[in-house]
Amino acid sequence: MPEAVWTQCRNQLQDELPAQQFNTWIRPLEAREDARCLRLLAPNRFIRDFVADKFAPRIAELLRDVGIQQDVVLEIMEARQSVSLAAVAGAVAAPAREAPLPASRPAPTLASVNTPTFGHAQQSEVHEALQHQHNLVANYTFRNFVEGKSNQLALAAANQVAENPGDAYNPLFLYGGVGLGKTHLMHAVGNALKESNPEARIVYLHSERFVADMVKALQLNAITDFKRYYRSVDALLIDDIQFFAKKDRSQEEFFHTFNALLEGGQQMILTCDRYPKEIDGLEERLKSRFGWGLTVAVEPPDLETRVAILMKKASQSQLELPPDAAFFIAQRIRSNVRELEGALKRVIASANFTRRAIDVDLVKESLKDLLALQDKQVSLDNIQRTVAEYYKIKVADLMSRRRSRSVARPRQVAMALAKELTNHSLPEIGDSFGGRDHTTVLHACRKIKELRETSSDIHEDYKNLLRSLTT
Amino acid sequence: MAALAPRQLFLNLRPRDDATLENFLSLPGNSAALEALGSGGEDQVYLHGPADGGKSHLLQALCHAAGPGALYLPGSAVAAYPAEEVLSGAEGLALVCIDELDLLAGREDWEQALFHFYNRARESACRLCVAAARPPGTLPLELPDLRSRLAAGLVFALPAPDDAARRAILSFRAGRRGLRLAPELAGYILARAPRGLADLLAVLERLDQASLAARRPLTQPFVREVMSW
Repeated sequence: MPEAVWTQCRNQLQDELPAQQFNTWIRPLEAREDARCLRLLAPNRFIRDFVADKFAPRIAELLRDVGIQQDVVLEIMEARQSVSLAAVAGAVAAPAREAPLPASRPAPTLASVNTPTFGHAQQSEVHEALQHQHNLVANYTFRNFVEGKSNQLALAAANQVAENPGDAYNPLFLYGGVGLGKTHLMHAVGNALKESNPEARIVYLHSERFVADMVKALQLNAITDFKRYYRSVDALLIDDIQFFAKKDRSQEEFFHTFNALLEGGQQMILTCDRYPKEIDGLEERLKSRFGWGLTVAVEPPDLETRVAILMKKASQSQLELPPDAAFFIAQRIRSNVRELEGALKRVIASANFTRRAIDVDLVKESLKDLLALQDKQVSLDNIQRTVAEYYKIKVADLMSRRRSRSVARPRQVAMALAKELTNHSLPEIGDSFGGRDHTTVLHACRKIKELRETSSDIHEDYKNLLRSLTT
Repeated sequence: MAALAPRQLFLNLRPRDDATLENFLSLPGNSAALEALGSGGEDQVYLHGPADGGKSHLLQALCHAAGPGALYLPGSAVAAYPAEEVLSGAEGLALVCIDELDLLAGREDWEQALFHFYNRARESACRLCVAAARPPGTLPLELPDLRSRLAAGLVFALPAPDDAARRAILSFRAGRRGLRLAPELAGYILARAPRGLADLLAVLERLDQASLAARRPLTQPFVREVMSW
């Protein structure tokens, strides 16, 4: 009866420990018993090690008190069946390290997991794990993608690639801010390729997964499998490539993968939060290769597109969303599509909960915290006025074409503040400074970030302005 | 072992006044969140609000309901450890709750690890519930990718309980312990106990134990005597 014994012991620990500690470390442990020992299963290695380190003596003591004579073993719970390679490979490698338990503990000891056996078994499991993933999200299709001015070019390019993979647009490099649909487009191409050829081996993954797979493969001595696998796909879709920055070994490995795929005419699609040349900590040869195919920006959606996105989402959930309610949400949530969808979810939850139909009143009610927050946020006007006053120049100077340092620097400070303190997109901020381009704003933000670290004057100015604008 | 005195064994038989969904009082300010969490329909939920709004209680209660394998990670307990290790493999679980996110925000290692964890969790259908004092929009995050992902799920504000709510919670929790608290006595306790909900409920715990030990019902003189008010 291990569960009953463990429950008794656990109840005692619950009385002894603060609720938070109990819930973090003890609650997730599950008891199993076989002929030889009582097993305590922890959800991951971190919890297991922590419990082994901090609570093992007390647990051993308590179990002895209730008459448990067997050995008690702390193990890692086998992961729920999962499609994730990292999880599979992680589970394979999990028994690799011993839990840090000094051997000198009094009996009954909380020993660690069974000794790891390394070799072919793991390698073939890694191999299997590699074979099985494609990770395409089924509803990220072209059909579900809402076209607007902001993403027209990217959509056209993605369509081209879906029709002629491995052709002229290789790699297709999509870049832009967060939550604007880069990942959706990438999956849409993958799904389209899969539709026209169900046998096609399409692999989508986040750059972190590529890094993790490589590390795992190195650990398990399976780097050949890794190389073979990534070079054998028909299309490789890698998201958020900026996280390759400063990971030299991964870049090296990816560089070779890239060349092999390009040579073999296999399609690559990459996304990034910025233009390839602007990724710090990325090898030059990779940056230049990223530009060999087609590089397209995805911009934040305009109002009409945001409304269309909401209407589409609503109809997908078979939901009645009146146009004026959609318009109201779209007007207030400007930053990106992900947050727009979050707002819609909140409205739907309220509608379900109160059993009311969605209208503008319900929208206002359910989003009131979000909207109150926005109202508190600083306006562009206010930032421009405050900055001009601080530097003793005119607001008109900030809007002007003048480029002298005495005006240009305050303008950059104001732009950086606008990016930090408001929800406005880069193009919107650019517009409000006499119709400047969004790249100018981006440059200003980076420049000021850099100067805040190198110039104590700018650091001081920025801090003062931030304080006066937010209090 | 001296600690296992007969009195404590006896106390162990009482129903626990635990952080469970049954022990959470539904109030107008939190009922929508409670329903969304309880129904399990949405796989990404973010709770925010001041202390005493019930964020930690709800996250712990979800883990309790999900059984072993659900993970509750409060920022204060895990911030000192390597973020990647803490979250490693957790996407294979059915539920991960991250409390006190404020304490992890602004830390580059934690933000990156949380962002990657979010992506892995989405791919493996791991439910992710998060709580912080501030909403995603004003949390001092450095990584916009993480902010937009946090804002993509269901976001609920949980208000701090006002006096009426504190009174309702006190009576409710007393009732869950099988104690009958007369309205005047509840008023008496509320007027004297500390304002924080945790401290208020600690008073209740103390009174409950004293009443059991002394085999006396809760009356105003008894409460005054136990609490030295």
